Amino acid sequence: MGKYSDSDEWVDVVPIPQDDGGPNPLAAIAYTEEYSEAMSYLRAAMAKNEKSDRALKLTEEIIRMNPAHYTVWLYRADMLFSLQKDLLEELEWLNTVALKHTKNFQIWHHRQVVMSHIPTLPPRETAFLALMFAKDAKNYHVWSYRQWLVRHFSLWDSELPYIESLLQIDVRNNSAWNHRWFVVFARHTDSKKHSIKNGDADSDVPLEIIEREVEYTKAAISTAPQNQSPWNYLRGVLRKKGIGLVELKGFAEQYADLEKEDEVRSSHALDFLADVYAAEEHKERSGKALELLARRYDPIRKNYWDYRRSLLALDQVSA
Amino acid sequence: MSLVSGPGRGGASAGGHVPDELKLVVEKHVEYIQSLDTRQDELEYWLTEHLRLNGVYWGLTALHLLGHPDALSRLATIDFILSCQHENGGFGAAPGHDAHMLYTVSAVQILGTVDALEELDRRGKAGTEKVGKYIADLQNQETGSFAGDQWGETDTRFLYGALNALSLLHMLRLVNVSKAVTHIQACANFDGGYGVSPGAESHAGQIFTCVAALAIAGRLDLVDKDRLGGWLSERQVPNGGLNGRPEKVEDVCYSWWVGSSLAMIDRLHWINGDKLAQFILRCQDPDKGGIADRPGDMVDVFHTHFGIAGLSLIGFPGLIAVDPIYCMPREVTKRLLGKLNT
Repeated sequence: MGKYSDSDEWVDVVPIPQDDGGPNPLAAIAYTEEYSEAMSYLRAAMAKNEKSDRALKLTEEIIRMNPAHYTVWLYRADMLFSLQKDLLEELEWLNTVALKHTKNFQIWHHRQVVMSHIPTLPPRETAFLALMFAKDAKNYHVWSYRQWLVRHFSLWDSELPYIESLLQIDVRNNSAWNHRWFVVFARHTDSKKHSIKNGDADSDVPLEIIEREVEYTKAAISTAPQNQSPWNYLRGVLRKKGIGLVELKGFAEQYADLEKEDEVRSSHALDFLADVYAAEEHKERSGKALELLARRYDPIRKNYWDYRRSLLALDQVSA
Repeated sequence: MSLVSGPGRGGASAGGHVPDELKLVVEKHVEYIQSLDTRQDELEYWLTEHLRLNGVYWGLTALHLLGHPDALSRLATIDFILSCQHENGGFGAAPGHDAHMLYTVSAVQILGTVDALEELDRRGKAGTEKVGKYIADLQNQETGSFAGDQWGETDTRFLYGALNALSLLHMLRLVNVSKAVTHIQACANFDGGYGVSPGAESHAGQIFTCVAALAIAGRLDLVDKDRLGGWLSERQVPNGGLNGRPEKVEDVCYSWWVGSSLAMIDRLHWINGDKLAQFILRCQDPDKGGIADRPGDMVDVFHTHFGIAGLSLIGFPGLIAVDPIYCMPREVTKRLLGKLNT
């Protein structure tokens, strides 16, 4: 009748069908046969907490059909460790599942669980992650896993060149910008046990690192001025060392000159300059930049820009 | 509740004509959600079994916000929820699935919505105290974060879920709230947003969980509201829809994650509500009901729920008001939290 019921390997097991939740169920029985049969053998194997090669293979089959079934992963991880399976082989198998189901997150937690039992970074790991990013360079689960990996194996020094290669391909990749921040600053923040928040000023960061980051970010902005990520990054880097935005006024004015309203090349530069002019007490200029954003360069957020303008007016006794 | 997608597509209409003035097709959405339970002959119904209890929450909450709270059988709903419970107090996504934080939270929310939390003590496999204890035991005493189950995965979603359910059960005393708050602060980023864990990229969904957890803990004072509000409002794209991260494509579900976060920090007016409403309405299937992530895609109950919740948030006429912290009808959370006078 079925793959499992016809198999000698499973002859001793009585499958446990789905309990549909009582006499008046919202859920009832209509599984497609293969999945349904595999699940009933899984229930039976789990009911007696069987740890065996055949049960491991069964979890593989079910994950192949439905990797989001979180219960199966937990059971599989348990078996891998108690049967002392080759964990590198498990990673190889996981690669194929991850490449097929790119949106699934259980795969990445399982990988983390497995990897934390492996003493040194397997040589093929970074190449595989590169393959994942080649498919989707903004995959949130893969980035989270990579951060864990960097912390776990202390890979801080080898990350920057890789990030730069990703930003070379797509300078708008916000995930890569965030990872850059993580690699540059989190090693400082981590060691302080959260006493300093990720985005807060931290006077211990060496000035040459700040300068390097400012230069890198300026170069990235010059290739694509209308790109939110590096402008956010720039503000964050300056704040880290308590440096005023005014220092970069000349840079920002290359992309937004209030005297040439028609030639604004970046709404983010206007936003930046609004803060620069406000800090310089040039409220009228700041107000003009915000007005240009509200009316012309980012009108969908008119209320936000108007709010920013109202903050200027509050300081003025008579506007 | 089936999580099968389709059959309709957002914006689909015979001849493909989109009328100038879009209406919310309330009756069609009600019928669409009701119809989901009849679609058990499709493989996708069973492949989404691990989300079943969430599916009930999405469908039921959408019906309440649409003003049709009785469109699903209350008794059948309660029976199904209780059938997913384990003796340790936790709930799985469906009968026979392991207990997990996410489904335990949905179970509490659903039972609260249909005013049946007392059923836990009356005929649950474990009573209210055990449900609270199941959730509380998932807190990491050292970091303040929460795991989803004994597998150990941590995510700010689980922390938010714990505070959500425990506050509805009046059992927040079981956990270390100040440590949880410290963990959320560690997830704050330089751009004003929050990620899934310390260092992870800002993401509108995670921002919702962090801000709502802070709201429940009474610590919204810790949020840099202007910086976060600026980042969140920048999620709106010219067609009115919202994305979850810079340079990502818009999706109806972010109407909720972004909108509710802005509402909690009193800055919802920083996005254009009319344009957002138009975007959500363009994602409806006007003939068969349901809402998709974007116009032209298949509808499903997840996007139907978050689209309707998003519309409720911006005060769309005819909808029941939603609570931005709990994503449940405001009247329900008032009743459960004992704030009937406010």
